[in-house]
Amino acid sequence: MILLCGIPSESPLAMVARELDALGAAYRVLNQRKVAAHDIAWQIDGAGLAGTLTLEGETLSLAAIDAVYVRLMDDRFLPELEEEPEGSPARRHARGFHDALQRWLEIAPGRVVNRAEPQGSNGSKPYQAQLIQKYGLRIPETLITNDPDAVLAFRRQHGTIIYKSISGVRSIVQAFADEDVDRLDHIRWCPVQFQALVPGTDVRVHVIGDETFATEIVSDKIDYRYAKRAGGSAELRATELPSDIVEKCIALTRGLDLAFVGIDLKRTPDGEFFCFEVNPSPAFSFYEANTEQPIARAVARYLAGAT
Amino acid sequence: MVLVLCEEGDLAAAWAAERLRERSIEVDVVTGADLAAAGHLEHRIGVDGITFELALADGRQLSRARVHGMLNRLSFLPSAWVRRLGGPDRDYALQESYALYLSWLHAFEGPKLNAPTPQGLCGNWRHPSAWAALALQVDLPAKPYRQSSRDDPGVLWQGAMAPPPAAAYVVGERVVAEPPVQAFAAPCRRLAAAAGASLLGIDFAAGADGHWHFTGATVLPDLVRGGAPLADALAEVFRP
Repeated sequence: MILLCGIPSESPLAMVARELDALGAAYRVLNQRKVAAHDIAWQIDGAGLAGTLTLEGETLSLAAIDAVYVRLMDDRFLPELEEEPEGSPARRHARGFHDALQRWLEIAPGRVVNRAEPQGSNGSKPYQAQLIQKYGLRIPETLITNDPDAVLAFRRQHGTIIYKSISGVRSIVQAFADEDVDRLDHIRWCPVQFQALVPGTDVRVHVIGDETFATEIVSDKIDYRYAKRAGGSAELRATELPSDIVEKCIALTRGLDLAFVGIDLKRTPDGEFFCFEVNPSPAFSFYEANTEQPIARAVARYLAGAT
Repeated sequence: MVLVLCEEGDLAAAWAAERLRERSIEVDVVTGADLAAAGHLEHRIGVDGITFELALADGRQLSRARVHGMLNRLSFLPSAWVRRLGGPDRDYALQESYALYLSWLHAFEGPKLNAPTPQGLCGNWRHPSAWAALALQVDLPAKPYRQSSRDDPGVLWQGAMAPPPAAAYVVGERVVAEPPVQAFAAPCRRLAAAAGASLLGIDFAAGADGHWHFTGATVLPDLVRGGAPLADALAEVFRP
């Protein structure tokens, strides 16, 4: 039995459900918006891990769940709880249910795409960069500092540089321009991450188990994810990667203890590849919708144990 | 030099630093207040490797080249730094600061007790359910753990306030256990390995039947209780 957790209309979850239907695999959807009708109880003792999950009146043994696809949103912001005051019984139930569910997901045997703990590396880009380097992928030259002079020297050394958050929050990439020099003194209060701009073409690689799907993005903006918002464009198409890069992406994914990731690469005009980030909860539907790459099918096959 | 990172009032860190010095280990204690008051910071990652430099206000320089081991007692950002953050961007600044600390602490070479993780700067700060699962995995007898929708998640995080009736410590490959729980040395070692912790304090209590069982573990143990055997084990890890 496969469990899909989240909101059924959310694109990635809906696409994986459709593919599971096509495969004929048995699954249940844990509709987060119906949390009031869900319950979970489990225990760990000398006999192992056991318990039950009740979804809208149907009770399942947790032992019968072999795989889980997790697309849960922050339960505090569920529309159903919008009118509920802090600490109301409905809010307490939602929090208690989600905590018990998430704690079980962390220790449940079987395939969980993805558990929360290994996703943590994405919260610190330079930390993740150090892990990425270990798997043989190049990363952009990076400087984190609170010293304006160090930034100016870094810029002189590398030419065009960009800046972005160190954490996973507000992670929009911006080019460092001449007008930014005047406000550079602000970094004395909170260090900032700068990187040498890597010229070339963005490539997003989705890795699921041993399968990879590479998508090339041609954009006239530095951060293609926000190209339209910035008045630019982004064109996506399927592409092939050299086998050594594919192998490194798979090894990196395994090394991070993740089953499904979106890896952001850039291919330089010289054919070199740089790795920027590993996204542990990829919203792959944008890429599949633009390229027809069968990513959802691969996720479904992985969950069903077919890969 | 072995870096001892701690909050200002961490008596266990001060005790450990003194015991390491007595055992001829060169130690530099850097507190959260030292870090909060530091000046120039540079952390580089690239094709030439990884560097980290921090100028402390008292003139000391903290750098990757100088540090050959670390007793890391900072579970989160230094309190003195957190107190400095305010305004509408406070949460963002906290996230950025944590991300930076995680990276520069990870960058140090040599033995780390403990290495930083995304779930805690001095090691993975696991939920009691995760410790119970690991105990089961390594055959360490433990009290049953139960959780359901009806539980208040905040209460589940609360640990025991009183010192445990018996404790064991894993330091690298060595186990320092108090007499009642010395028989558990092997599963304690396996627990630390499964938890990815080079330093782990493991708590035990006796049940009504008189048998000892695991009640919890911490990556920030009370080192003083371990006495000279624990100090010896710490020194062994850091000795060149």
